[in-house]
Amino acid sequence: MTRSASVKIDRMEIAALKAELERLHCASFGWALSCCRRDRTEAEEVLQTVYLKILEGKACFRGEASLKTWLFAVIRKTAATEYRRRFVRSLRLTSDPETNPARAAINESQAASVERSEIQERFQSAMKNLPRRQREALHLVFYEDLSLREAADVMGVSIGSARQHYERGKKRLRQSLATMELSYGISWRREENPGAI
Amino acid sequence: MELVGDEKRIRALFSELKFADELAAPGFTAVWQKAQSRQLQPRRAFNFSFAVAIALLICALATLALWVRYSQPATRPNVFVNVPAGSDFPKTGIRHDLTSKPGMTLTPAPVIRTALKSRAARLAAQRRALIAANRKAEKEAKELASWQSPTATLLNSPSDNLFKSLPQLNENANELKSFLPNRANDKEK
Repeated sequence: MTRSASVKIDRMEIAALKAELERLHCASFGWALSCCRRDRTEAEEVLQTVYLKILEGKACFRGEASLKTWLFAVIRKTAATEYRRRFVRSLRLTSDPETNPARAAINESQAASVERSEIQERFQSAMKNLPRRQREALHLVFYEDLSLREAADVMGVSIGSARQHYERGKKRLRQSLATMELSYGISWRREENPGAI
Repeated sequence: MELVGDEKRIRALFSELKFADELAAPGFTAVWQKAQSRQLQPRRAFNFSFAVAIALLICALATLALWVRYSQPATRPNVFVNVPAGSDFPKTGIRHDLTSKPGMTLTPAPVIRTALKSRAARLAAQRRALIAANRKAEKEAKELASWQSPTATLLNSPSDNLFKSLPQLNENANELKSFLPNRANDKEK
């Protein structure tokens, strides 16, 4: 096979992949948000890096799993790498992203627009308090509508382990929401407080 | 039943969150184009982390080299060559003193053939130098013992025997007279 022919095929593959990525873009962004602890700027950067990896061929889809599962696994790994890199950068004391006022303002406004309801805010707070694996399992199952097997593939763990994380996470989330309900005197139940959500 | 209801509520909260995220999500085209522009950007030739890693590696190697250089005499066993004066060196032999100081622990040095060879050569050279020095000292001592002053012959006289000999205490007077000068003997006559 000549080089021009292979380049042509690569381009075709990238074009097809791009269409699929566009279809999954919103879900990918939601997952990136979850992996970046709800930091929108960071999530966008992670998504950019993932697309860059795909363009450069560093992340290559071989059809071993579904495209969605593969993409989510890439996003998860990239987010972890970016987090480590950001941590090292903050140690070097060049520019701390958390103390950057412009970025904080953007995050603040975006957070304010999204987290309108108090209940949603409490819910996100409870999610943040969960261990990472449990949070990931709940997000993949409830938010992304993945099966436990697919969630396990994304998380890189066995299905039994994923089920455990899911069950424990669900129990813990229920407990923390109930505690909040008692502490703040609010009800996070839709039927009791329909205007909240 | 309550659990199922709770699960439904959790799902509802997640779907609410999903809806909000979809509204706030950046456009795919924008993110894709940014990624493409990043792909076209030239990569930095200088990588700070790589440079730091190389610098650390060089520092570590330099420290190791210095440590090896200066810690070698400490790990080498002490060897004393004892050559008494007036004796042949090979007969006296070499005294190896491995526990020269109390409380000092000696760790066995790693067996390196080249290091041993050089050490043996150094010891042989030291031995040869000590033998030569010993022979020279012996020769000088002999010369000193046999030295005589050039004016020593002037101190010799014919009556040296008289001065050096002692009279016998149990001899009679006549015999003692023989020691008197001849003039006095003549007067008695």
